[in-house]
Amino acid sequence: MAELIRLDNISKSYGDNEVLDELTLTVEENQFVTLLGPSGCGKTTTLRIIGGFEKPDQGRVYFDGKDITDLPPNMRPLNTVFQNYALFPHMTVGENIAFGLKVSGKSDQYIKDKVKYALKLVNLKGFENRKITQLSGGQQQRIAMARAIVNEPKVLLLDEPLGALDLKLRQEMQYELVRLKKELGITFIYVTHDQEEALTMSDKVVVMNDGYIQQEGTPEQIYNEPENAFVADFIGDSNIIPGRMVEDRLVEIKGVKFPCIDGTENGFRPGQRVDVVIRPEDIEIRPYGEGLFNGTITSKLFIGVHYEMLVKQEGGKFEWLLQNYDEHQVGSEIGMYVRPENIQIMHKPQSDDEKRMNLEI
Amino acid sequence: MKKTISTLYIALVMLFLYLPIAALIVLSFNESKSMANFSGFSLQWYEELFRSRMLMQAVGNTFSIAIISSVAATVIGTLAVLGLSNMKKKSQDIILAANNIPMLNADIVTGLSLMLCFIMLRLPLGYGTILFAHITFSIPYVVLSVRPRLNRNTDRLFEAALDLGASRGYAFRKIVLPELKPGILSGFLLAFTMSVDDFIITYFNKGEGINTISTIIYSQVKVGIRPSLFALSTIIFVVAFAALIVVNRNSDRNEVAFNL
Ligand SMILES: Nc1ncnc2c1ncn2[C@@H]1O[C@H](COP(=O)(O)OP(=O)(O)OP(=O)(O)O)[C@@H](O)[C@H]1O
Ligand SMILES: [Mg+2]
Repeated sequence: MAELIRLDNISKSYGDNEVLDELTLTVEENQFVTLLGPSGCGKTTTLRIIGGFEKPDQGRVYFDGKDITDLPPNMRPLNTVFQNYALFPHMTVGENIAFGLKVSGKSDQYIKDKVKYALKLVNLKGFENRKITQLSGGQQQRIAMARAIVNEPKVLLLDEPLGALDLKLRQEMQYELVRLKKELGITFIYVTHDQEEALTMSDKVVVMNDGYIQQEGTPEQIYNEPENAFVADFIGDSNIIPGRMVEDRLVEIKGVKFPCIDGTENGFRPGQRVDVVIRPEDIEIRPYGEGLFNGTITSKLFIGVHYEMLVKQEGGKFEWLLQNYDEHQVGSEIGMYVRPENIQIMHKPQSDDEKRMNLEI
Repeated sequence: MKKTISTLYIALVMLFLYLPIAALIVLSFNESKSMANFSGFSLQWYEELFRSRMLMQAVGNTFSIAIISSVAATVIGTLAVLGLSNMKKKSQDIILAANNIPMLNADIVTGLSLMLCFIMLRLPLGYGTILFAHITFSIPYVVLSVRPRLNRNTDRLFEAALDLGASRGYAFRKIVLPELKPGILSGFLLAFTMSVDDFIITYFNKGEGINTISTIIYSQVKVGIRPSLFALSTIIFVVAFAALIVVNRNSDRNEVAFNL
């Protein structure tokens, strides 16, 4: 796939608040790229720089190989679905959607058909003459989407477009979005702080924090091989525990030695201190004494399809987070086992500079 | 019990507010010249009003000055708000503070200082100076009512329009201006009422031989008020009342309250 957008070494500050710090990112044609990160980490700012609403202090933005850093927003072949919708309140739904087409001088008939088509796409058929104020939050979001899509942009920038929807509608719309993207064949740059959303929809996830990219990769890579404790923690419930390499393919955590698959060949020398991620669903329950270590169940919570348990390690204070489909009684003593491939070993974050060096590899 | 008291209270307030106006209206239809007794219905004072060239000229001056000055103040004030939005926050605050001072200033000070200014510049006092004075004191009110409409929300809408390919000019005309409209309208109405209402500033800056409604009423106080002035006041009240109803209807539809 061809590279479509490249952010090259972008920095941006507001006053002395450094929001983006030498951020480099490429987006390929037809890719669904998600910027994921906690509130205030610079996602919207990144999107606004791509859209042309914000000038970076440093660095260039390329589109299709051309430098568009100084191009005003109305000259860029992209459209945005804004975090706050930004629908025009004095216009009807139909007029809102038609705005971009009108500006580009399309014929009335074409505009009419397109508006109808767009409304159908977002499941709001027949809403042409409604007022914006008569729409629910979710409907407004979908109109904002329709207004951007009708212009058939090469790239669609979406800033938390599903934030105001309830869970069911959100899942429906996620599905719709992926379908839309396939149908229209456009590149999506999507912003969210919902890791589940990011993992389900994207081809590529970019995890951000504090204006740095922490890790980018496919959803599988991000979930299964988090590069640092921040990513592991942000992406899902995890046991993130400091540990120490004993030898190649053996790591010690909380006094227990776990066989693993990492060693000197990928940069973990014996004796080195590391962070270890063990997903709660990867801790298997065995009869007492038959696992790698034992513990007592201290609490149990049914959360939909599975049980979530806290297990206090035998002879220590540490509590492990477990998820299991089977029910176990609080107070019972169990053995626990983790497969070597489910033990994800990460380098410890060191100074900020070193963190950045890691990212640039 | 509580209900009766509150109804009574409202009735009393209304009475205090409207009794004087009711008296004025009733007396404007009086047959005699008396200010105390109503002796019979007649339209003679209305007739006298429309016959009097002096009064009609004052009416004409009042409204032509009000219209021209409020239009001018609205244009200038709105442009000022737009200019302000492109300034640094600090300069904005300074200018807005400067904008508020003339509104708090006593009319007599404003009137006197404008007069001194005109005299210093050797401008003959007359229609032009009244107009200029009215434009001057109206601008801050326009700024005050337009400015809140230009906020982050309008910025975002403006950006959304640019995003959809609109030029800056088009985005301003089609998106920002309609958003400012209620503010511009209420600024205009404020300026208009302030102008019609004004006596002190007009009095100092009008010179000889020209009168507005307020100055002519004042000058007649000395020689005795004729009931034709009651008739004039009644007409003004009715017109203002009707205008207020229309504006409120409109603003209900636009979902912005018009608070004078
Ligand atoms: N116009 C601005 N002026 C000053 N600071 C700003 C401005 N816009 C954003 N910031 C700051 O920049 C930082 C990043 O903001 P940004 O909007 O990019 O965050 P975000 O990742 O989109 O967060 P959220 O998930 O809450 O939308 C925040 O600390 C914010 O306060
Ligand atoms: Mg944001």
